[in-house]
Amino acid sequence: MTEATHTVKSYEQELERLRGMMARMGGLVERQTAQAVKAVVEGDEEAAIEAPDLDPEVDELEREAEALAIRILALRSPMAIDLREIVAALKITGDLERIGDYAASIARRALKLDMDGGISLIGLRSMGRLVQDNLRRAIDALAARDRDQAIAVWQADTAVDELYTAMFRELMTYMMEDPRNIGSCIHLLFVAKNLERIGDHTTNIAERIYYAVTGEMLPAVRPRGGLGPQYASATVPDAR
Amino acid sequence: MSGSAVSGRVMPEGGVPGEAVAGKPAISVRNLDFYYGELKALRGISMEFPTRKVTGMIGPSGCGKSTLLRVLNRMYDLYPGQRATGEVIFDGRNIIAPGMDVNRLRARVGMVFQKPTPFPMSIYDNIAFGVKLHETPSRSEMEGRVEDVLRRVALWNEVKDRLKASATALSGGQQQRLCIARTIATRPEVVLLDEPTSALDPVSTARIEELLDELKKEFTIAIVTHNMQQAARCADQVAFFYLGELVEMDSTDRIFTAPRETRTQDYITGRFG
Repeated sequence: MTEATHTVKSYEQELERLRGMMARMGGLVERQTAQAVKAVVEGDEEAAIEAPDLDPEVDELEREAEALAIRILALRSPMAIDLREIVAALKITGDLERIGDYAASIARRALKLDMDGGISLIGLRSMGRLVQDNLRRAIDALAARDRDQAIAVWQADTAVDELYTAMFRELMTYMMEDPRNIGSCIHLLFVAKNLERIGDHTTNIAERIYYAVTGEMLPAVRPRGGLGPQYASATVPDAR
Repeated sequence: MSGSAVSGRVMPEGGVPGEAVAGKPAISVRNLDFYYGELKALRGISMEFPTRKVTGMIGPSGCGKSTLLRVLNRMYDLYPGQRATGEVIFDGRNIIAPGMDVNRLRARVGMVFQKPTPFPMSIYDNIAFGVKLHETPSRSEMEGRVEDVLRRVALWNEVKDRLKASATALSGGQQQRLCIARTIATRPEVVLLDEPTSALDPVSTARIEELLDELKKEFTIAIVTHNMQQAARCADQVAFFYLGELVEMDSTDRIFTAPRETRTQDYITGRFG
């Protein structure tokens, strides 16, 4: 990463503002995801209400970041690392906004859950923990422009996919055992699917960070878990 | 994008040219040093100018890019105390070696300068003058030649009714197009342009850039520019010079999206010094 700052200070300030918006969005979305998981696995109603409440702020930040990025593109004609960073910012804020939506959707679903059927939430708990952990590391990598951390996050989604597949099977079993579980299980299945989607967007963020920092694209096929062995050996660059 | 895109790139050390644009070189520069008296202005330059491609040369003032351009047609010969060592191979010969016919060379390697430099004569004569130095076409041949080059620089419609009028009455942009017409009238193989649009308004600049796109079908072009967007728009490959050295040369895409060298990146992103 270039250490030097721009000769034109206002340009540097605009880039800093854009970074600041992404950092704020990242923080909010992390909070939304944490509250959403808490709402489901601990039945915390306050958390269930807070997650969707943060959504308008996230959406507003996305719009502001987009407007600023377009302004910089138009007025500064950014090149090289600046260009990559701004294009990455446009995409990353889109991913963050989607993550916020999924978290809000999980939280709303938590309010409808009736967990009297003896359904275990252990799998969902670990999936939630892993997704949050990856998201946090992605947002850290974004702030630090850390290529190695980005690769680590990109690779870690395999475990999320595997947990999702396991959850799917587990919930199917509950439903077959007792049809009265179907309502709750379908909600939980959506929760798991939304967590899996959050994992995918987190992976996207890692890919954008990698591109912004290095100028190279990560391979289109990332390692996947659970969906078949053909993806298991995808080429992954070594973390240097 | 495949996995090889990540693992397949070679990172050259110390300013070695990267993936140069493919094509047979019109000019090959090898280990070129240049001196203004005691001052060494170019240091060990090695690069190629691919045939019928546009090579953009960028870098801060005093980096040696214009000096290199002046070596390519031995313009420096006009000044005492300036000398070049190394090789500049054009059509199989080292053009900086003694015994080169410099006038013939300058007809084959033409040059357009920063400020339009029309001769104080008519539009027609500005073009005919250069041609007559090297050839003796008949009057009708000459008229055909003048019309042809004026059409190619998109000036014909603007001046066809006043070919005998003084060239100095033309606008700056028209004058520069006339100078390009004059340069290509001698049918050179290489056209060198030293900041050809820095004195022109955006519309005239766009016309010249559009013209470069046409000209590169026929000529090998080297353009020195301070305008990075211009290099990005016009060039097939871009060379970045700093303190007399070639820091990095690569495809235009690569230079402006992901240059290899920190110095290149600092310069093109406006982080220099």
